[in-house]
Amino acid sequence: MPNVTFHKNGHTLQGEVKPETNLVVRAGIRQFPHPLLTFGCGMGKCAKCACRVLSGAEHLPAPNWKEVKLLGSRLDDGFRLCCQLWLTHDIELAQDDIARSAPVEARPECM
Amino acid sequence: MAELMTQAEFRAALENAIKGRSANTSPFSVAWAEGKLSREHLARWAENHFHYVGPFADYLAYVYARMPDRYTEAKDFLLANMYEEEIGGDRHTDLLIRFAEACGTTRERVTDPDNMSPTTRGLQSWCYAVAMREDPIVAVAALVVGLESQVPSIYRRQTPTLRKIYGFTDEEVEFFDLHIVSDEIHGERGYQIVLEHANTPELQARCLKICEIGAQMRLLYTTALYNDYVAGTAPGLSVAA
Repeated sequence: MPNVTFHKNGHTLQGEVKPETNLVVRAGIRQFPHPLLTFGCGMGKCAKCACRVLSGAEHLPAPNWKEVKLLGSRLDDGFRLCCQLWLTHDIELAQDDIARSAPVEARPECM
Repeated sequence: MAELMTQAEFRAALENAIKGRSANTSPFSVAWAEGKLSREHLARWAENHFHYVGPFADYLAYVYARMPDRYTEAKDFLLANMYEEEIGGDRHTDLLIRFAEACGTTRERVTDPDNMSPTTRGLQSWCYAVAMREDPIVAVAALVVGLESQVPSIYRRQTPTLRKIYGFTDEEVEFFDLHIVSDEIHGERGYQIVLEHANTPELQARCLKICEIGAQMRLLYTTALYNDYVAGTAPGLSVAA
């Protein structure tokens, strides 16, 4: 079972989730990492659920087209959209106001 | 007289009420998952599906209006669900129409109610009737637990096929992607509301029965799509494969 460590504005939550868990779904049904995880549309359109992956990124699939379009150069800084991730391995994530409010800079080839 | 089930027992009973009647078992869903449908068949599916899911916020609005004030969380859930269907991001029906256009049909054909089959009209009418007439908790059991909660498992099977076998692009199948996340949230929140507020044996029994009927209705609708458009047993509705 994947172990998730979640950091937000100085707070840290840890929890175990079932394989193939989507953290936005969990937060949407008010389970860990609710209430810390901020999210919006759940459809890869708003980027409110963007988080920086501190460890475990190697187990994630390559960013999908929505992440490429919305996160742009922030992908290189380790950001991913939680609504687009189904977790299979341990992961450590950070979400903070700075991360969420950073401007979206789509890569030129994705415009 | 039946006794009140615990929430765990009631949850298992609700899941059992749907199990075996899942729309995944319909011949249309099986043919879809096996890559045996044509784009024309999928276009007919989209033209019908629009009239089932298009008014979903309308169904929920009736339930919202009749949900008691004291069930604040349930009302908020219904309102959020309506918002997400219509204006939270992309309007869900616009994404369905995008898929339909990729299948070769048009927005005008999709939105024209004359293009739905009699069975689809029956499912839509049932949804309206439940929303307007049933106890609001029973209506949530029907529309959200019985119908909406099935969607992630259906689309999880069908979406990879749309890309790999049918050759649709990511943008064209976005309608399916988004429902895997949003309807998993909606379905589970629906369960939570029903488990909390169906607090008499009589109400629990009614929720179980309507979940069975809801699952049957969706199975009937999906099976009819196969009969009408793939097997071509309904005069005037079939299309060439």
